[in-house]
Amino acid sequence: MQQVSDDAYDAYLKERGLTRTQYTSMELLAVAAAREVPDGAFVFAGTGLPLLASMLAQFTVAPNMTLIMEAGIVGPRVEHLPISVSDPRGCLHSSMVSNMADTFGTTALRGYCTVGMLGGAECDMYGNLNSTIIGGYWPAGVSESGKGPQVRFAGSGGANNIASFADKVLVTMVQEARRFPERIEYLTSVAGARGPREKHESRWDYGLVRGGELVMISDLCIMRSNPETGLLELDAVFPGVSVEDVVNNTGWKLDTSRAKEFKPPTEEELKAVRMLVDPSRIYLGRKSKREAAAQQK
Amino acid sequence: MAEIMTAREAVERYIHTGTQVCWGGFSYTRRPFTIAREVIRQRDRIKHHFCTMNGGASVEEALAANDLISRMETTYIGLEGIQPVANSIRRRIQDGSIPLFEDYSNYGYATRTIAGRFGWPFAPLMAELGSDVPEYDVFGKAGLRGKNADGSWIDPRIPPKKFAVIDDPFDGWGLRPHAFEDGDTTANKTNALDRVRESDKYTGSKGVKVMLVPPIMPEVTVIRAQRVATDGTVRMEGINGPDAEQAMCARVLIVECEQIVPSDELRAAPELNHLPSHITTAIVEQPFGGYPSAVPNYYDYDWDWFVSYGRLNRKSKEEVKDYWTQHVYETKDDWDYLQRVVGMNRLFELRATPAYGYRADLKRPM
Repeated sequence: MQQVSDDAYDAYLKERGLTRTQYTSMELLAVAAAREVPDGAFVFAGTGLPLLASMLAQFTVAPNMTLIMEAGIVGPRVEHLPISVSDPRGCLHSSMVSNMADTFGTTALRGYCTVGMLGGAECDMYGNLNSTIIGGYWPAGVSESGKGPQVRFAGSGGANNIASFADKVLVTMVQEARRFPERIEYLTSVAGARGPREKHESRWDYGLVRGGELVMISDLCIMRSNPETGLLELDAVFPGVSVEDVVNNTGWKLDTSRAKEFKPPTEEELKAVRMLVDPSRIYLGRKSKREAAAQQK
Repeated sequence: MAEIMTAREAVERYIHTGTQVCWGGFSYTRRPFTIAREVIRQRDRIKHHFCTMNGGASVEEALAANDLISRMETTYIGLEGIQPVANSIRRRIQDGSIPLFEDYSNYGYATRTIAGRFGWPFAPLMAELGSDVPEYDVFGKAGLRGKNADGSWIDPRIPPKKFAVIDDPFDGWGLRPHAFEDGDTTANKTNALDRVRESDKYTGSKGVKVMLVPPIMPEVTVIRAQRVATDGTVRMEGINGPDAEQAMCARVLIVECEQIVPSDELRAAPELNHLPSHITTAIVEQPFGGYPSAVPNYYDYDWDWFVSYGRLNRKSKEEVKDYWTQHVYETKDDWDYLQRVVGMNRLFELRATPAYGYRADLKRPM
């Protein structure tokens, strides 16, 4: 790992009111997601926490990974955190910058998309993600009510494609029961198994050739897809979170029988994410809803 | 033959009420803001347009805030790191003032531009399968697809189907990783072809499913480049995003640029060029005209502007539109906007650091 002097780190901690061992939700999520990246992986990362976590992985567990950003970036050595998958910051010292058709075609479909990192507004028990709408899909011109959806989100972007082509998909989300329903309202991205195989509703039944392994990293826990059933199951709870908390914030009957405790972020990991990845705290400074609510009390 | 003209002239000539315009660049990078701002200045004449793009959404946010969008066909309406969903677009989809919105994924749209670029009737897309993205067909539901009784297209800009699925006539032979005897050299390891061959979804017969998407052929594509030669040859620097493809698809291509240069300058190293001269229709020179987006090797995005605008655009629709009226609509042209509203000091502060291509010490407080 690149060297950061203790003096510089101490000054940073003091200025930001942080300590070497305590961490925020965003820091925890970044560390948990980074640990899931195998060294040598080809990682397609979306904006925000996914990009943050993949950069952290590159500085810690996966120095030989290749970062890919869908607007056309392959294998950069980033110095300043990009805020967009087209940010010129993301292009620094890349192996190649090209275009979007190339990143999804020449890179992903051709066989260089082993890990995808995504976010979403809703996630269901089979790891399907909704990042498009809540409260009706049809826009006003064709809807019965004469109005559009209750809430419109950004839409697929590249999420659907990354979910289609990656061997393994990592998703980071804030966990609330309404965001983790049994069935999502609109299926933007088939990130996991999609549905039960015995009912011919799996991702393979619909023609997706790759993938199926999903790791959900919420602000409460880590869930993994069961390779047989495709269902998301509890894998680990974060420090200070009980299994009951997780169950209460999940909209389906969650299998918790294999739950372990999560090993908290190390000082080294925290130092790296703070000093090397996001020193301006563009993302790390954000509070999850749960954190903000806790602070109100 | 490419023609050099002012932004006002280009917009007057090629963009009218209802015109389908494909906006180039991606998020905060190389966005054609000079033409977008000129559309805002001419909003009384243009009224609204059919907006299409691959990747959001700063230009489109500005156009939506000016009530200039009546129809969208796109992939993503976020402002990424600064605002998860561009609020002026979002609220207009929700309240119905953007009545028609067709969703695609980035690669789905890019595949449509590959078809358009090569002059193909369709192109294969291995994504979107199993998702709702192709299933919800807004233009179809609105009766805009297909032909009239006299055999003409109902809307010539909209393909008769959103997508089609076939069984791969080559049985998945070309998909990677391929089943070579000693394995493939690709990084991906999962390959469920044996299961996929059993699938009878979409087509009703067993086989490897391939989605087909039609080309997109925008009436007008607008892109921003660093340099354009007097003959229309285009060279872009930094990331290309969707631009080379969607420029090649267009019927009319407007290229705005930092600098018009003699054609010898770009023809000395033609392998670095992205578009041949015959593709370009109109050339508009406006230094700094990509502001507030970044133009690699020239200047960075204006972080402070985006952050403060991301607060402003949560106010009432009227207040947001007033902002655009005062800051852009009432300016004479882009030089007037850049010098008087933005100021040369700010533009100079954003100039790129040579070794980086962006402003390496740009402060980015939230």
